Amino acid sequence: MSGPDRGRARTARARRGRGRLTSAVVAVLALPLAACGGPDGPELSVRDAYMPQPVSDSLAAGFLTVVNEGDRPAELTGVSSDLAASVTVHETVDGAMRPTDSVDVPADGRLTLESGATHLMFEGLTRRPMEGETVTVELRFEDADPVTVEMPVESATYTPSHQRH
Amino acid sequence: MRNKICTAAALLAAAFTLSACTSGEPAPDKPGTAVTEVTPDDKAATVLDTPFEKPDLVLTDTHGKEFDLREQTQGRPTLIYFGYTNCPDVCPLTMNNLAVAKKQLPEEQQDDLRIVFVTTDPERDTAGELGAWLKGIDTDIIGLTGDFATIQAGARTLGITIEEPVKEKDGTVVSTHGTQVVAFSPKTDQGYVLYGEDTTVDDYTADLPALIKGEKP
Repeated sequence: MSGPDRGRARTARARRGRGRLTSAVVAVLALPLAACGGPDGPELSVRDAYMPQPVSDSLAAGFLTVVNEGDRPAELTGVSSDLAASVTVHETVDGAMRPTDSVDVPADGRLTLESGATHLMFEGLTRRPMEGETVTVELRFEDADPVTVEMPVESATYTPSHQRH
Repeated sequence: MRNKICTAAALLAAAFTLSACTSGEPAPDKPGTAVTEVTPDDKAATVLDTPFEKPDLVLTDTHGKEFDLREQTQGRPTLIYFGYTNCPDVCPLTMNNLAVAKKQLPEEQQDDLRIVFVTTDPERDTAGELGAWLKGIDTDIIGLTGDFATIQAGARTLGITIEEPVKEKDGTVVSTHGTQVVAFSPKTDQGYVLYGEDTTVDDYTADLPALIKGEKP
């Protein structure tokens, strides 16, 4: 897992014959920061993002998984995109969708936004995104830096492979 | 000496990184953290022991004309779904799945099949709105709107519960959609197969040839 980081440390040492120690120490201090933003706190990454090509230019849905490898929970508090005037997180309960203000990303856990459950709802679209395009989405968190996601637009019937049965 | 410290520092660096991030790639099946993904190995279709009667619904189609569901789909393989157009997720996915699966059928069978979308939010889904929305999916789909109480009662006869859309304080409207597609046999005009909302286009593609004939998928 830390392959690339160890590689970087080796390169730093190899480049400088003298001051080897200094660079190694710097590497010690810098590595955890560069890799994860500190040993404490949420460590967030996003995977499996996609948007099914919407039916019209009025609204669209988006799905993704936020992975938190940190030891503290994070809270998704806001979403924005170049595609839409407003993006909200919607929860689906008993077939009814309701907007929600914030959603937790548990420590050492994940938040899954998926079809039929909690999802992103894009309203007031600036255009109708078509399959093959990409939509830029910014996720904002309490207690963590924002994460920018390049969300691919998939076919209207796309189902992630892990959801297939 | 310097080398020793250096090595120790490098090891420390590696150890530090390890403790900071337990893994670089998220482990998909880390116990206790992963969302449980239920992978049912049974089929998408649920064949009913006691089929449903086709609801006696007379509503308005996307052309603004009266549409008598029983009369106008009689003897036709028919798929019915209850949803609304301001639903970005499951409703368009379900209708698109049906539309794409339909296109895999021979032309003649496509013409025979009736796919019916009944709105659960008739106030917002006028005939015009429904027509515009279905145009983005498949113009052959029959879109129906009308009185909410009538639609709700029709859905109830199929075991589908829908609630009247509620306007929240901030102006957002919360509507409900059904979770099932009901397939009606051309032989009996009864609803004999149910599909849940996680049914994929491949499931429908596999089952439609049987449904067209009123056979069990």
